[in-house]
Amino acid sequence: MTEYLKPLPTLKEDNRPFWAAAREGRISMQACKSCCHVRFPISHVCPRCLSYDFEWRTLSGRGQIFSYIVYHQVYHQAFKQDVPYNVALVQLEEGPRMYSNIVGVANDVPKVGDAVEAVFEAVTAEVTLPRFRLLAS
Amino acid sequence: MHHLRDKTAIVGVGATPQGKLPGSTPLTLAVEAFKRALDDAGLRKDQIDGLMTMAGTTSPEGPLNYLRVGEALGIDPRFTGTFNMGGGTAGALLQQAALAVNAGMANYVACVFGDSAATGGYKFDKAAGFGDSWGIWGFMAAAGNSAITASRHMALYGTTSSQLGEIAVTCRYHASLNPNAIMRTPITIADHQASRWIVEPLHLLDCYLISDGGVCVIVTTPERAQDLKHPLVLISGMGQAYTTRNMDNEDWWYVPHQRLAINDAYAMAGVGPKDIDVAQLYDNFTSSVLLWFEHGGFCKVGESGSFVEGGRIRLGGELPINTAGGNHSESYMEGWLHIVEGVRQMRGECGPRQVRGAEVCLVTGRGRELNCANANILRKG
Repeated sequence: MTEYLKPLPTLKEDNRPFWAAAREGRISMQACKSCCHVRFPISHVCPRCLSYDFEWRTLSGRGQIFSYIVYHQVYHQAFKQDVPYNVALVQLEEGPRMYSNIVGVANDVPKVGDAVEAVFEAVTAEVTLPRFRLLAS
Repeated sequence: MHHLRDKTAIVGVGATPQGKLPGSTPLTLAVEAFKRALDDAGLRKDQIDGLMTMAGTTSPEGPLNYLRVGEALGIDPRFTGTFNMGGGTAGALLQQAALAVNAGMANYVACVFGDSAATGGYKFDKAAGFGDSWGIWGFMAAAGNSAITASRHMALYGTTSSQLGEIAVTCRYHASLNPNAIMRTPITIADHQASRWIVEPLHLLDCYLISDGGVCVIVTTPERAQDLKHPLVLISGMGQAYTTRNMDNEDWWYVPHQRLAINDAYAMAGVGPKDIDVAQLYDNFTSSVLLWFEHGGFCKVGESGSFVEGGRIRLGGELPINTAGGNHSESYMEGWLHIVEGVRQMRGECGPRQVRGAEVCLVTGRGRELNCANANILRKG
C-alpha cells in the first residue's frame, strides 16, 4: 500500500469507538442518555442538555444528501490526483449530519435529496472511512 | 426609542493601497491605515484611548495583536482587545467600540486591521471543524462552506449560477468606478460562466480576492464629533448574532443568525428594508450576498436569485450594493472596507459611484464557518 498522505483522524480515547465501529462496517455515534439526542461531532457533553451520560449507538447508515459540492481547486496536495472530487453533507436518518463523499457514480449524478447508505473504505491499517453510495430509487 | 440609536459617530476612516504589496507586513499596513484614519478625522494620536484590533492571517502574534499594534503606535489604551471572527470581526469591533464610547470607558476608539495574505502566502485552505477535521473527507477552505450553502439554495429554490454572476458583474462594474479597487476591468455573465470552477457550484469569479492591505475606523460620541472636519456619520443601529453549531443546527447552512443581527439593527435604528438607500453586504462569495437579501427582508425566502437580476443591485437601481466593488473586486479586507465605503457614501464623497441622496446605509459582516454575523446601519447625521 502506498503511503496515505491525506488528513487522518488522531485516534484518542474520545473518538476511538467511532473509528472502531467504522472498521467493523458500522456508523456509531453518541446518544445522550438523558435527552436521547444523537450527536456528532464527537463531544464529551450533550450540546442540548449538558448531560455527560451517553452511549455509543449503531446507526442505520442511511440518510439523504443535504448538500453536495465538487472540489476542483487543490487545497491540499494529497488531493491533487483526485480533483474533481465530491463532498456531500449527509443528513443521517437518526438526526446527525456529517461530511463525506459519494462513491460509485460520476460527480454529476448525485443530487440534493438523494437517498444514500454508508459504505466503508479502509485507507490505512487503523482507519476506515465511512463514505456513501446512492440507494437505488 | 433605543438609547444607543445615533449615539456613536464614525469620524475617521483610513485605508492603505490594496493588492500585492511586497515588503509589507500586517503590522506596517495596520500602522499606515491608522495614520490615514487619524488624519482623516483630524485627531491627534494622544486623543485615541481605545484600540480594538483584528490580527492579520499572517500576523505572528495572533491573538496578542492588540499589544503589538498598541506598542507600534505608542498607545497605552484604556480599552482594547483583539477579536477573531474572520469577516465578522470588523463589524463586531465597531460595535464594541460604540459600546465603549457610550459607556464612557473610552473617548476615541480606533479599530485597526492589517494583513498581507497575498504576499504572505496565506492560503485560506484550512479545513473546517474542530478535532477530527472534515478535511479527512476533503472538505476544506472557506469556499467549501459557501458552496454547501449555494448548492442547497440552488436545489431548494432553483437559484442559478448566472444569478450569482449578476452579483459578480455588478460588483466589478462598481469597482470600475473606484480608483482604489484592485480589479477594475468590467466583466460579463459570460466571463463569469467561463471562469474555472473552484468548488462547484462556485466559479473563480464567485470568489473573493486575496489581498494585502490595512484599514482603520475611528469612532467617538456625536458630541465630540461636532468639532471634527467631516459631515457627521452616525451608527444608527447595531446587531450581531452567531451560531456555533455547524452540524447540530439544522439551518446552519441558511445562516438564520444573519436575520437576527439585521433585525436587531433595524429595531435599534427604527428603520426597515424600505429605508435602506445603499448596502455594503459581506461577500466572501457571491452566494453569501443572496442570503443577506432574504434575511434583510428585501425579498422573500428563496427569491434572492431573481431579486439580483435586472439591475436592481447596481448603481441607479433600487438597492445598490457594494458600491466600491466589495471583497471580489475592490479588495478582500474581510469586510473592513465595507464600513469605509458605507461612511464615504454617507459623507457623499464617492464621486461617480455616489448613490445620490443616500442617507441610510446597511453594512453587514459574516465570518468563520458562516458562524458570526453582524449588521450596522449608518446614517447621515
